[in-house]
Amino acid sequence: MNDKIKDTAKEWLAGGMSRRGFGKRMAGLGVGVAAANFALGGAATEALAADFDWQAHKGKTLRLLLNKHPYANAMIADLAHFKALTGIDVQYDIFPEDVYFDKVTAALSSHSSRYDVLMTGAYQTWQYGPAKWLVDMKPYLQDATKTAPNYDWNGIIANLRASDAWSGVPGEALGSASAKQWAVPLGFELYNVSYNKRLFDKMKLEPPKNLPDMIEIGSKITRDAGNGIYGVSVRGSRSWATIHPGYLSTYTNYGAKDFDVSGTTLTSAVNSAQSKAMNKLWVEMIQKAGPPNWATYTWYEVAQDLGAGRCGMIYDANIIGFFENSPGNKESGHIGYSAFVPNPDMKQSTSNVWIWSLGISSFSKEKDASWYFIQWASGKNFGIFGGVKQELVDPVRETTWKDPAFKERLDNGYPGFYEAFEQSLPGAKIYFTPQPLFFNVTTEWAASLQQMVAKQVSVDNGLDKLAAHIDREMKSAGI
Amino acid sequence: MRNPVLKALRVIARIVIVLFFMFPIFWIVLMSFQTNAQILTLPPSLIFKPSLANYVTLITGHLQTSVGTLDVAFLQNLGNSLILSVGAVIVSLVLGVPAAYAFARFRFRLGEDMAFTLLSLKFAPALLVLLPLSLEFQMVGLDNTYIGLIWIYQLITLPLILWIVRGYFEDASPDIEYAYRVDGHSWLKGFLKIAIPLARPGIAAAGLLAFIFAWNNFIYALVLASGDKQPVTVGALAFVTASGIQYGQIAAAVVLSIIPTLAIALYAQRWLVEGLSLGAVKG
Amino acid sequence: MSDIATRPDLIVAKPVRRRANLLPYLLSLPALIVCIGVLIPFFTAVWYSLEAYNMAFPSGRHFIGIGNYIDLFTSGEFWHTVALSMIYMAASVILELLLGLGVALLLRERTKLNNVISVALLMPLMVAPIIASLIWKLMTNPTFGVYAWVVDSFGLTGFHWASSPGTAMFTVVLIDIWVNTPFIMILLLAGLRSLPTQPFEAAKLDGVPARFVFFRITLPMLMPYIITATLFRMLSAIQEFSIVYGMTQGGPGNSLMLFQLRSYIDFYQNTNVGRSAAILMVLWAITFVLSKLFVNQWHAMRARSNPGA
Repeated sequence: MNDKIKDTAKEWLAGGMSRRGFGKRMAGLGVGVAAANFALGGAATEALAADFDWQAHKGKTLRLLLNKHPYANAMIADLAHFKALTGIDVQYDIFPEDVYFDKVTAALSSHSSRYDVLMTGAYQTWQYGPAKWLVDMKPYLQDATKTAPNYDWNGIIANLRASDAWSGVPGEALGSASAKQWAVPLGFELYNVSYNKRLFDKMKLEPPKNLPDMIEIGSKITRDAGNGIYGVSVRGSRSWATIHPGYLSTYTNYGAKDFDVSGTTLTSAVNSAQSKAMNKLWVEMIQKAGPPNWATYTWYEVAQDLGAGRCGMIYDANIIGFFENSPGNKESGHIGYSAFVPNPDMKQSTSNVWIWSLGISSFSKEKDASWYFIQWASGKNFGIFGGVKQELVDPVRETTWKDPAFKERLDNGYPGFYEAFEQSLPGAKIYFTPQPLFFNVTTEWAASLQQMVAKQVSVDNGLDKLAAHIDREMKSAGI
Repeated sequence: MRNPVLKALRVIARIVIVLFFMFPIFWIVLMSFQTNAQILTLPPSLIFKPSLANYVTLITGHLQTSVGTLDVAFLQNLGNSLILSVGAVIVSLVLGVPAAYAFARFRFRLGEDMAFTLLSLKFAPALLVLLPLSLEFQMVGLDNTYIGLIWIYQLITLPLILWIVRGYFEDASPDIEYAYRVDGHSWLKGFLKIAIPLARPGIAAAGLLAFIFAWNNFIYALVLASGDKQPVTVGALAFVTASGIQYGQIAAAVVLSIIPTLAIALYAQRWLVEGLSLGAVKG
Repeated sequence: MSDIATRPDLIVAKPVRRRANLLPYLLSLPALIVCIGVLIPFFTAVWYSLEAYNMAFPSGRHFIGIGNYIDLFTSGEFWHTVALSMIYMAASVILELLLGLGVALLLRERTKLNNVISVALLMPLMVAPIIASLIWKLMTNPTFGVYAWVVDSFGLTGFHWASSPGTAMFTVVLIDIWVNTPFIMILLLAGLRSLPTQPFEAAKLDGVPARFVFFRITLPMLMPYIITATLFRMLSAIQEFSIVYGMTQGGPGNSLMLFQLRSYIDFYQNTNVGRSAAILMVLWAITFVLSKLFVNQWHAMRARSNPGA
């Protein structure tokens, strides 16, 4: 490449030139738009490459196992840059979300060496880690020859870094000193309220301030909005996925815990007084203002009802509110966002989080090269690309959140999104007690919640039974 | 049909049956010409401006969602389904029809045990067999191959073909075969020229059903193969996206995935109906 | 072979006995050999069911004999699963059998219209159950669904399909009927149309009442086909997964936790291989007994309808 072009690109990257100035100078050098963009990529690559041998694994091939998700799409869209930077070829298998984790379990349990890097959630690493299916990345992070000096691990939101790290001892806090870094955050989601502004304005409503308020406003919508529109959408299917979003955030906000930990013994705390108080309100909310078919509701139905204007608000992932506000839905442009503090006695929300993370398979034959990929995907440059150009809208790095182009994009198309996020972030982390029976416990929990909502069992009784069930399962697993 | 009331009842029964079974299909076809916003309205409307966008998405391989473009490999999925289902049914026919003939025509030691063992494939707990099987497949290099998948698909297709075809062979009187052989033809010729044609409706029905069940499966390929060998069932699930379920595309995918099966059904129907000389033979 | 060809009675005669005995093995062994590969992992799975084996605790893996089975048999939830699976199987197979037989009888005559209808009715079978449940979930969703809308229009506003414990079983059985009745219908139709015409013509000449013809001629002659269709449907129904998982994931509460759902969740979500394997072994034993019963019945029917064969 012509040195002059390179220099111009470097100068732009260093911030010494406006984008227009850059385009003009490039045009002056006889470089078209496409070539200019390429130079930009090349320069970015070089800037990234300073003082670090990104080409150490040149010629190798990595295979990724990906879930069909906007966050994965963002990576795919920028793969060319990673290839140019490292000389590593990347191939990927992408599976629908409905079957994605089945595929991961199948691939890892059969010790298949087919995949090097895979997408995972934090909860899954509580199984995959102890099962010895994932590589601990702490040694990589501490090795200056393997990690680029400007990677800035600490630039990733601290709670998220900790949430992907666990010692494997049931009940021991996430991110402790003995924790292993099973995965590295790529993008996440936290839980607050997204509402239909058009409907709220029409009915002269304000977004709810707390859970009792949500019950009241939601009931009013169900009663008065007409045409079958109901108040609040939340998930309700018989699955762990029903427990971890708004439900657990509220549960925590009311001071309830999933387990009492004493030493290495975990005792279920789902029938505590706080839990019973909270669950009574939650059940009431669903009965009075929830979706009629709540017990079959997954993320998809919640999202679809918001986008199609069938519900007043949702209490679920903030990024659903982003997706449904984007063009193509009936209510595009009408979605508002509100940080939500469920407990009237609390000032700060306690949002649980879901973190799409990247892990390295223990059966990979290219672990070092895999680490290069993860460094790149969780690095600053890709974070900004994903946040500004793609739909990686809950980025894990502060550099992205502070990026003016990123904020501008959100403020223009999604007013209120940024503020709601900012208010929720300080309290956002994983509030579950880490233990490998996470899925047993939460699936059973969802089943109990369904029975309480269907009035098959009273809330008090249901929670007592659930606690006994969980204790039995834990005991039989020796925890 | 002498009784007019009875005749009317039969007509009504037919209408009710067609309504019950065909309405969801009709609705799927309608949805395949609608946008997601049109599908997600209440009350449902029958009057809308039809759009081919869903089909265009499937065929060009680019899905435009509210949050950007997704690549879809639907045609590749369709091709995989064809390879796997056709392959599985052919293998099952080649293996199963002679075996069915043997069980029907001969009483031999362990014969019934073998037949039952073959049936037992139908109740092998597939979910569980899959974990050890994927380990085994990796050892012999069959994981992520069409051959390995077609082999495991025999769990679905072979017992069905074997037991249905056996029934037809048992029904067909052996006398004609014997008579044919008396004319100086070999056993093999008798099998090919007499026995098989007589059992044709059974073979056609069993082959068709086996094809459909193979077509509908997804767990084997999901567990044992990589992304480029997945069937349409997995492909259609790809429209359950983070930004919503794309019902229009799912409906179009269903329509496109029914077409090959329907074509085979129509083709087999000729044999099911016209080639039936069995009754006459037996009577 | 020429001996047999010219003298059919020689099939059991001495000189050719060895060859005649070898032939059926030659014909059926290839199919059997193909199965063996699948049956080896089956024994591995039997072994799993005798272990305390959770993939998330690799160090705790050890042989516990029938421990998993004892745990299951002493758990109320497990018996609940057994009962639910039986109810699901009985309800769906009986209704499908009655409906399938009815439709087959309606379409028995070989007219063009009947042929078109019979192929058209196969279409539900061609929609993969996992996709069918997606579509039905939409159609029964009160906020958008056309079925929910129709039911609402009749004033049944409290009807919540799969999401209410009282109607969940009804809903999934209804979908099962929609998907699988065509399977029984086509088998019985092929059976009906291959029945010999002579007895029916004779009955007609003698003026035998239709009901008598049906119960005394049609039904007995069709019985082997009915048994085959029922057997295959039962084996699938007791192992049902896709429809139920797609609609409710086993809920609400535990109201649809069938065998396969329990073992699937234990395997893929809870990584509890030992317990998942034990559940499936119990399922396997049930299907084994069912199949034996039906196959014996099938042979008895055959012997009765073809006394000479």
